[in-house]
Amino acid sequence: MEDTRQRIIEATYACVARWGVAKTTVEDAAREAAVSRATVYRHFPGGRDELIHDVVVWELFAFFGRLYDEVRGAESLEAVMERGISFAHRSIQEHEVLQRVMQTEPETLLPTITVESNRIRDAIAGFLVPYLHQHGLAPGVDPDEAGDFLARMVLSYMGSPGRWDLDDPAQVSELVRGELLAGVVVGPEPGKRPD
Amino acid sequence: MAGQGARLRVVQGDLRLGAAMAPNASAPTDVPDRVSPHRIRLVDAALDCIARQGTAKTTVDDVAHGAGVSRATVYRVFPGGKDELLGAVAETEMARLFSALGARMGAAEELSDVLVIGIVEAVTRITRHPALTYMIAHEPDVVLGRLAFDESNRLLATASRFISPFLIRWMDPEEAARVAEWATRIVLSYCIAPTSEMDLTDPARARHLVGTFVLPGIRALRAPDRSQPVDLVPIAADRAKHAGRVHQVDYLQTYPTTTTHSEGDVQ
Repeated sequence: MEDTRQRIIEATYACVARWGVAKTTVEDAAREAAVSRATVYRHFPGGRDELIHDVVVWELFAFFGRLYDEVRGAESLEAVMERGISFAHRSIQEHEVLQRVMQTEPETLLPTITVESNRIRDAIAGFLVPYLHQHGLAPGVDPDEAGDFLARMVLSYMGSPGRWDLDDPAQVSELVRGELLAGVVVGPEPGKRPD
Repeated sequence: MAGQGARLRVVQGDLRLGAAMAPNASAPTDVPDRVSPHRIRLVDAALDCIARQGTAKTTVDDVAHGAGVSRATVYRVFPGGKDELLGAVAETEMARLFSALGARMGAAEELSDVLVIGIVEAVTRITRHPALTYMIAHEPDVVLGRLAFDESNRLLATASRFISPFLIRWMDPEEAARVAEWATRIVLSYCIAPTSEMDLTDPARARHLVGTFVLPGIRALRAPDRSQPVDLVPIAADRAKHAGRVHQVDYLQTYPTTTTHSEGDVQ
């Protein structure tokens, strides 16, 4: 049952990669997954809209799963944030399907991404809070408030680098130690750089 | 409102009369009319329509009816029709937001006040904007397309160029551009995803956020090794040097003169 659902989602993603979101139909997904239309509707009663929504959510969480794998071994708060921002930026740039859909039909993705970003923000904040405790918070800073603020900023910079060149590790380091962490944690440890 | 509408119609009548009396001296009607007295009325009528029914359902007829003018008048002011009208709505609302921000931030005397007032004013105006509120609820794709990835980069650049002149009393232009972009990100994040714990329309909460996270960040970028405490006071010597940049926003007539502070303000 779950295998079939998963197969339909992956098949739909393959269709989206080939033809885009707007041109992908339930029939396309069924054919690609080698199941009947009825089977698709049994797993996704909302039809095409539900299917596309679930594919976007699936790929979004796969993306943040890869991000988690990238940062979970990091030894310090600075290293977590630097590796996370660099990896996320690179992944977004190199994500061909995402880039093409954002160029041609962003309206098909953005509402789902925006709704899901609340859950993602909570997940990022929850991941960062133990690192904040371990590093030591600046006086008067509430860890949950700091986690939420940092998660917002991380999402903002990874999606839209603005004036920053996030391919440059020196700039990522400067951003992390300035805008992101300066107000949140206790002062720097001289000479301690994670890489 | 009714009186104003009647007065504007009289003006319109006078223009038609004038044209009829001197047909050879008629206005060049094939030139897009950017200063037409109708332009702002049409934009405001469109805003009313969007706040009620969104952009997709709003027609040129609706806007013409709301503004009390003919369809032909709408097309004379906006030859591109609905698309051009919607573009003018976005442009006008952006200018109104920046103008209000300029008035409030320009009157502030402390760096923390500039940031707090700017954030509160921006978040309040954006989250309580009737047309924008309707669109976010019912046609989020239209709004979000302007706020993500490349579009967001453009918006960040525009907002930063506007905001940084208000910060250069306290830092060099490069730092000001960096802080201006950062503050814009904060505003956008809390507008797109508000939380009850950090309601930035509340000046006390905004002051808490600025004091806790933003000012320490500014101190850190002014002295990266944190070897010495940084006082965030106006830079008198630099102020004259950067006066030319301040004049870029003079059209708003809201920025305080650069001689407000005497040398004695600097510690």
